Amino acid sequence: MMKKELGLFLLLAVISAITGAINPAFLSVVNLLNMANLIGLFGVFALGEGLVIITGGIDLSLGSMFALLGVIFVDLLVTYQVDWPLALLLVLLGGLVLGAIQGFLITRLKMQPFIVTLCGLLIYRGAARYYTSDSTRGFGYGDEASTLGSIASGNVAGIPNTFIFLIVLALILWVLLHRSVYGRWLYAVGKNEEAARFSGINTNVVIATAYIISGGLAGVSTVLFVFYTNSVSPSSFGNFYELYAIAAAVLGGCSLRGGEGSILGIVLGTALLQVLQNLVNILGIPNSLNFAVMGTVILVGVLADQQLQSRRRRKAALAGLARKAPKSTHVQGNHSTTPRGAAALSATTDEQR
Amino acid sequence: MVTSQAAGQPALDKSALNQPVLELKGIGKEFGAIRALHDVDLRVAPGEVVGLMGDNGAGKSTLVKIIAGNFPPSHGEIRFDGRTVHFARPIDARAVGIEVVYQDLALADNLTAAANVFLGRELKRKFGPFALLDHKAMAARALELFGELRSETRPHDLVRQMSGGQRQAVAIARTRLSNAKLVMMDEPTAAISVRQVEQVLGLIHRLKEQGVAVMLISHRMPDVFAVCDRVVVMRRGEKRADKAIGDTSPEEVTSLITGAKEAA
Repeated sequence: MMKKELGLFLLLAVISAITGAINPAFLSVVNLLNMANLIGLFGVFALGEGLVIITGGIDLSLGSMFALLGVIFVDLLVTYQVDWPLALLLVLLGGLVLGAIQGFLITRLKMQPFIVTLCGLLIYRGAARYYTSDSTRGFGYGDEASTLGSIASGNVAGIPNTFIFLIVLALILWVLLHRSVYGRWLYAVGKNEEAARFSGINTNVVIATAYIISGGLAGVSTVLFVFYTNSVSPSSFGNFYELYAIAAAVLGGCSLRGGEGSILGIVLGTALLQVLQNLVNILGIPNSLNFAVMGTVILVGVLADQQLQSRRRRKAALAGLARKAPKSTHVQGNHSTTPRGAAALSATTDEQR
Repeated sequence: MVTSQAAGQPALDKSALNQPVLELKGIGKEFGAIRALHDVDLRVAPGEVVGLMGDNGAGKSTLVKIIAGNFPPSHGEIRFDGRTVHFARPIDARAVGIEVVYQDLALADNLTAAANVFLGRELKRKFGPFALLDHKAMAARALELFGELRSETRPHDLVRQMSGGQRQAVAIARTRLSNAKLVMMDEPTAAISVRQVEQVLGLIHRLKEQGVAVMLISHRMPDVFAVCDRVVVMRRGEKRADKAIGDTSPEEVTSLITGAKEAA
């Protein structure tokens, strides 16, 4: 059914097979589990970013949110000796609140998402550095949060908990996006906000909710990352991570114009990014080329997808004409308003059924 | 065409057939010092198709927006279904049964025909505390609606892949879903091919058959003369003519629109 996701999955499989053939260590259990862990870590907040992108917006503030919420989280546990369930709750709440503020600015005060979240990126980072006087916060030798730590960074039968969290959250969001009324409205708002408003949908609430979900998932990710690194350095913690999320979402079929994308696509996009990073290490490609490899693959992938889609559409249009010619009741035309962008996107098509 | 509303409700049943679904009395609208509409009276009966014509700036859009509840009139009274109504927002107008099919159609390209028909009014199935989309029921009902309109539109097709005529069918199916009593269509035949114009005019006939009143805002003379029972001509914010289609001609309407003929 979902051609785009299938294509992405095949690409992932082919790349893995080739890498595995060159260096069998790639397919070793240790390496696979390590990748699963990273996919879990980077996938959770990519899901939120994906929802935001489907509304036609963008969230650039995620990485800085990790830093700010991270230092607060560690401080709550270590300095203030707050019980971990309360600290966890406060961090999740913090993420939701930051998301709500951004959503409010974007929907009520009609500011552009790029500007609002770019300023968020700068403000949260600055606040985190000021709050800690730029010093790294970490856990001492005490066991402030050993229970939570073992939940966040532990594993079940070898499978990293982070990966399990990702699967669970992805399933919940899949139902929300693809099976609930909210998801339907999210797609409508992302493609044609005016149409959605005329249909009686409260578009402001729909959009703001996406930012709030993204903020909440950033809270979850903060906790996972804190226990992954065990310390938070306010100037570098989470740097550029929002770009990983955006890349994963776009690679997974989300259109920056809004209205397109799927949960499965975002998860596969995250997986592909992590496989690429891993492959750079495993194949002995200089580490400094890391980002260049990632950028090249995304560029080529999106380009190939667009070309394939437009070819398929041309074919469909021709077939439509041929079929209709004798009867000539109606012509299957290309009435797309976004000739290039829309091409990338019949993934959602099959899913809307 | 007498509506003696002095007697109140009891008169309703008797004159139900002749009772206009929409009645405007002395509608006027000023925007600051600019007078956009002046003293417009208008009656539309159920199952009647009225063409609303006029040059740009003649007051057509202002009139439509007042009826649709986008803004209130400065003067005058709107009666709908025999009752005086005041609309604060478009939703209020929709609630009593007035739907507008906009020129740009207000459809979401990335969704299917069925999804667009039900946009904002989705059918749901209960799953414990959760309510999930009922795709099957929506597709079935959408197919029914398209059937009523005798359109070949398929519920599972993406709107993005549809012709202009099919898009109109989707937009009109939306108004059938809510059982609208008055449908106002803004230039529905402006941007589509000749063959699709036929389809759209067919759709208007279907609405008429089902007792829906239609106001057709159009610049295209042949379309107005093909489907309308009456034509109303606006000029400079005033109603200059209101004639049965058989009593007038495209030439006369043109001269009324341009002002070559003052009133008829």
